[in-house]
Amino acid sequence: MDLVSLAVRSIFIDNMIFAYFLGMCSFLAVSKKVSTALGLGLAVVFVLSITAPVNWLLQQYVLREGALTWISAEFANVNLEFLQFIMFIAVIAGMVQLVEMVIEKFSPSLYGSLGIFLPLIAVNCSILGGSLFMVQRDYTLPQASVYGFGSGLGFALAIVALAAVREKLKYSNVPKPLKGIGITMLITGLMAIAFKSFIGIAV
Amino acid sequence: MKFLQDIFEKQKPHFEKGGKWEKFYYIFEAHFTLLFAPKDVTSKKGVQIRDAVDMKRMMMTVIIALLPTLIFGIWNVGHQHFLATGQEAATLLDKFAIGAYAVLPIVIVSYVTGLGIEFTFATIRRHPVNEGFLVSGMLIPLIMPATIPLWQVALATAFAVIIGKEVFGGTGMNILNVALTARAFLYFAYPGDISGDNVWTYFGDSLIGMSEPVQAFSGATPLAMAAADGISSFSNFWLSDAYTFQNMFLGVIPGSIGETSTLMALIGALILITTGVGSWRIILSVFGGAFLMGYLFNFIYDINYTGQLGTGVKIAFLLGTIILFIINQKFIKGELKAVIGVLAGMLIFTAVMLFSGAASEFMKVPAQFHLVMGGLAFGAVYMATDPVTASHTFQGKWIYGIMIGALTVLIRVFNPAYPEGIMLAILLMNVFAPLIDIYVVKANKKRRLSRATV
Repeated sequence: MDLVSLAVRSIFIDNMIFAYFLGMCSFLAVSKKVSTALGLGLAVVFVLSITAPVNWLLQQYVLREGALTWISAEFANVNLEFLQFIMFIAVIAGMVQLVEMVIEKFSPSLYGSLGIFLPLIAVNCSILGGSLFMVQRDYTLPQASVYGFGSGLGFALAIVALAAVREKLKYSNVPKPLKGIGITMLITGLMAIAFKSFIGIAV
Repeated sequence: MKFLQDIFEKQKPHFEKGGKWEKFYYIFEAHFTLLFAPKDVTSKKGVQIRDAVDMKRMMMTVIIALLPTLIFGIWNVGHQHFLATGQEAATLLDKFAIGAYAVLPIVIVSYVTGLGIEFTFATIRRHPVNEGFLVSGMLIPLIMPATIPLWQVALATAFAVIIGKEVFGGTGMNILNVALTARAFLYFAYPGDISGDNVWTYFGDSLIGMSEPVQAFSGATPLAMAAADGISSFSNFWLSDAYTFQNMFLGVIPGSIGETSTLMALIGALILITTGVGSWRIILSVFGGAFLMGYLFNFIYDINYTGQLGTGVKIAFLLGTIILFIINQKFIKGELKAVIGVLAGMLIFTAVMLFSGAASEFMKVPAQFHLVMGGLAFGAVYMATDPVTASHTFQGKWIYGIMIGALTVLIRVFNPAYPEGIMLAILLMNVFAPLIDIYVVKANKKRRLSRATV
């Protein structure tokens, strides 16, 4: 049950976009069409749910202070935490390469419409954020996997909802200076107000 | 009427192209069309269908439907004032007088601020003045407590009209309900004045020599009480005279100006449905969703509290609901499919709750009470039905409505931070309404393509 409530938490309450405002660049840039947004959302779900457990293992058995004792007892004082960012990023970048190859192979049209934002998932802060939050909150391996998956799903939900709103917005008469990113920022703020309904829920 | 029309016709040349007040044409046009249907037709050729019921007339219908709640709200503010100050023997007129003294300034401030911004935008951006604010400007005061400072009303209205509506291009293009945006803004910006925890009773104004203004009145709304102290103190209060089902249905309880009375909201619903302005699907599904969710929570509480059900039965329940969901996806079509789909989703949620074994005291609140408590009826009738921000497809409307009802009860039960859920539930579903529509339309296309034989 702990895992279910963690999943609910990470999807709705600690939503990457509306609670932490992480990963805004791709959120704002790739939300013009629902189908593209769904593609990016699923890619983020995939990358997050792989990288969170992998990075957990990395943290547990390589990076953390005294983590290397499984090789030999003399490494008990070794602390590789200063490599944390670079290692996490390396794992994420590797995963993104994989996703990129898969998407290019199976859905060239989606690959085309995602464009530069697919490789840019590698530096999407919600993904690195997922790994860092997981370390900070001392999750166990199953918790980390669920957390990664849930955060990804929260991101996907947010970006698809925004894309639907923006498709509807095509018929609006938005003032010229606000067109594009400006109005999208405002919508994000309004959506965050609506998402506040979840903040404070005790699960 | 003829002489009014003459006045307008006489002034018209001044406002048209080349006239001295050309800039203000849309302000003139707004007043003219408020009173008369315009003569213009959109094209010179072909058949014209002219309907006197244009958008302005439609918005006026909503305002007429709002009048019962407004009048009752004014009376209730006065009534609560006399109850709280201990002056039982007040006449009807006294109550109305006090109520009007408290409520009318809020209405006026809301209309003046909103319409001022609306006219400014219309003049600068050269678009017709949008009628939507006639309704929003009435809704905003009705969802405010009577004690709200007027500057906050003005600020919230300005925020809602500019950020909630005008940046999208005006009426018909916004994504969140304008009135609810105003309230949510106040709710998060000035929680002290509108938190929903305390009873808002208008105590009067010492300036004009009414009774003593007491600032801290330590009552709580029924919802806040149920959330804070659990069912025991709740039901004690419940069974005392103040919060009976009947009182809450009639709305003779403290609360925001317009939203206490379920009865008045239902009268409004009758007007909206018979004139075809409001969607009966949404109204019905919000009430239905809330009732069912309340009922399911009673059920979960019973099972989890007594712990009689074995794991096997729970698994069977979960599997049963999933099978129901699949059967529904395969074999049922149209609006029924949407309804059963959402209901199956709620049942799956229930099954998960059964596994979790969670039991909160609030779950015990009888389902029918959820319908009359707080602003559920008001929100369901006047704000969920907002044609701009709701779902546009029939199936979408069912999903949208049921989800609002269910989420309202869910937030009430699970979120101790917010005793009332209808406002945030509607805002949240406003955000998802376009997505629902897109998928409903997509499913329709798919079904029709599968029937095509070419």
